[in-house]
Amino acid sequence: MTISEALEIIRAKPPDPQQSYEVALACSFTPLHLQTFLTAYLRLRKPALNFSIKPGTFGDLAGSIEAAVSNDSLQAIAIALEWQDLDSRLGYREAGNWGPSLETVILESADAALRRIGAAIERALDTLPVAISLPTLPFPPAFQAVAGQVNESELVLRQQVAAFAARLATKPNLSVLNSDWLAEESPLGSRLDLKSDLLIGSPYTLRHAAAVGSGLARLLTPAQPLKGIITDLDDTFWNGLVGEVGPDAVRWDSASPYQLHGLYQKTLCALADEGVLVAIASKNDAAVVDEAFRRPDLLIPASKIFPIEVHWAPKSESIARILKAWNISADAVAFVDDTPLELAEAASAHPGIHCLRFPARDYAGVLALLKEIRDLFAKCGVNRRVTDEDRLRLHSLRSGAEFSKQAEAGGSRDFLRDIEARLAFDFDVSLANPRILELVNKTNQFNLNGIRVTAAEWQKKLSRRAAFLFAVKYEDRFGRLGTIAVIQGHQAHCGIEVETWVMSCRAFSRRIEHQCLKLLFERFQVPCIEFQFAATRKNGPARDFFAGFLDAPPKSTFSIARDRFESVCPPLYHQVEHLTGVNING
Amino acid sequence: MDEIQKRLIKCFQIVFPDLPDAEIPTASQSSVPAWDSVAAITLLNVIEDEFQITMDLEMAADLDSFRRIEEFLQDQLSAV
Repeated sequence: MTISEALEIIRAKPPDPQQSYEVALACSFTPLHLQTFLTAYLRLRKPALNFSIKPGTFGDLAGSIEAAVSNDSLQAIAIALEWQDLDSRLGYREAGNWGPSLETVILESADAALRRIGAAIERALDTLPVAISLPTLPFPPAFQAVAGQVNESELVLRQQVAAFAARLATKPNLSVLNSDWLAEESPLGSRLDLKSDLLIGSPYTLRHAAAVGSGLARLLTPAQPLKGIITDLDDTFWNGLVGEVGPDAVRWDSASPYQLHGLYQKTLCALADEGVLVAIASKNDAAVVDEAFRRPDLLIPASKIFPIEVHWAPKSESIARILKAWNISADAVAFVDDTPLELAEAASAHPGIHCLRFPARDYAGVLALLKEIRDLFAKCGVNRRVTDEDRLRLHSLRSGAEFSKQAEAGGSRDFLRDIEARLAFDFDVSLANPRILELVNKTNQFNLNGIRVTAAEWQKKLSRRAAFLFAVKYEDRFGRLGTIAVIQGHQAHCGIEVETWVMSCRAFSRRIEHQCLKLLFERFQVPCIEFQFAATRKNGPARDFFAGFLDAPPKSTFSIARDRFESVCPPLYHQVEHLTGVNING
Repeated sequence: MDEIQKRLIKCFQIVFPDLPDAEIPTASQSSVPAWDSVAAITLLNVIEDEFQITMDLEMAADLDSFRRIEEFLQDQLSAV
């Protein structure tokens, strides 16, 4: 992106100028082009938001972060740390001495500076997402060393920064810019503009400012990770055509070039362990594939793959069945195949699906594919930890398939009475629980209004007077689903108002939503409840549920009276547990 | 209006989006409040992009009006 292109992007008006999103840019130098590129890349990634960047104080990084923490209108902080922030003598503009006199004190002063910056960041992380780039510029020639040799003080300074970042990176709200990624975008030798640094205090070349701005924008506006990956088998999952060479002769072992398929299997296994759904769509003889999946040297066990669609029908039909079993839409899924024709057929039948070609025998191509897969499925920011629910997902989908089969066979009413369903309502949800915000921001179908919230906005909603929040956990004899619903709202004059209500699609058809409504009426003892509903392209299941209590499907905010609820509510068989008392602010 | 003037006007439109087009040819640092030191450097960078030339940061102080920048560009580009 050139500076002109960045300015053009910034000049274009966002669709809704009211949706403002303020980001503090903390750096101790003149932000100049970094500010411009950060704004432009944020706009590119989230065109609906009206981003404005608030630069901090020149020469005072820690002070800028501290000031940002006390600014209520901010929604995120971007930090560009440089060596001069550890000690101003590590910059070019400071008059202090270089050489032995600096070496004797630098480690101590750097340690003190990192402590202050770290403490300010930790305070910020309580309420705001923070993205940080660690020092990106080369060291100045402050210490003695022959060309090609690194000075001991530089090594220790790098170690101090690495330890500082590693400690902070354990906090869910912090994202650290990957220096390897940055090096690909902006080579080290072309990062420093010494003239610009000395004349106006802006040390980054245009290219480097663009790269750092792009990286920080990525971290502050992470894309929703995909949820599932569907893979072909022959010449993708393994080398060879299993129907031709037989189950024992397909390969992925270390004899080149078959190991590329082994690396792909390892990646799939890692994704499965992180809660990503993995399925197979292959045109093959099912019995032959079944035999191949009994091989003990597979790098992802068959138990981590569901469903396995193996037959001779078009792959688009397999994908349709897999999406139905997973109950997710095509745009949340990647399909990997070595054949362009199969990818084209899948893309045509399932608009939005991410089609990725497996470039067998192309080492660089496979590495690029594995990196792309990692990028598409990576969780970032507050939701990046693998949760219990992630680990439960595959099991609950399998049990969900069994649930549906038995429900169809047994008749819904009798069936639900016998499944030993247990619901736990947790009114004392930890704000640090990443599953809560993740559910709110990724649930589409049973979602009261589709509103996505940042960590800061969520915090603000919950700190309001008379606000309440509870999470719902579910299990039955088919297995544990974990935390599957979140309800948030506040008490009003004559009842309660529900602002957020999301429920995982894995929990449908169990009358959990009815039990939630019953709980709201009983706990708060109110005659009616107002719901801040808004129709979205995908929240039909929520709309249909509420339509059962109204004369017609809702279009905007509506209320349900307790009498009406009780006259319409079907029998409920759940065993209900309240994990804590009602927790209401104020 | 010659080609250089047209392209320079485009640069001014990018850096000073609120400046009316009619006022661009007479614009100067004293008549445009938004033309501060940051905008002056940004303008140089945008001109570098547009005309594929290298400009010295130290020129920012002298190139303080549309007319002066246009003259500078006429000199630079005719010398190529």
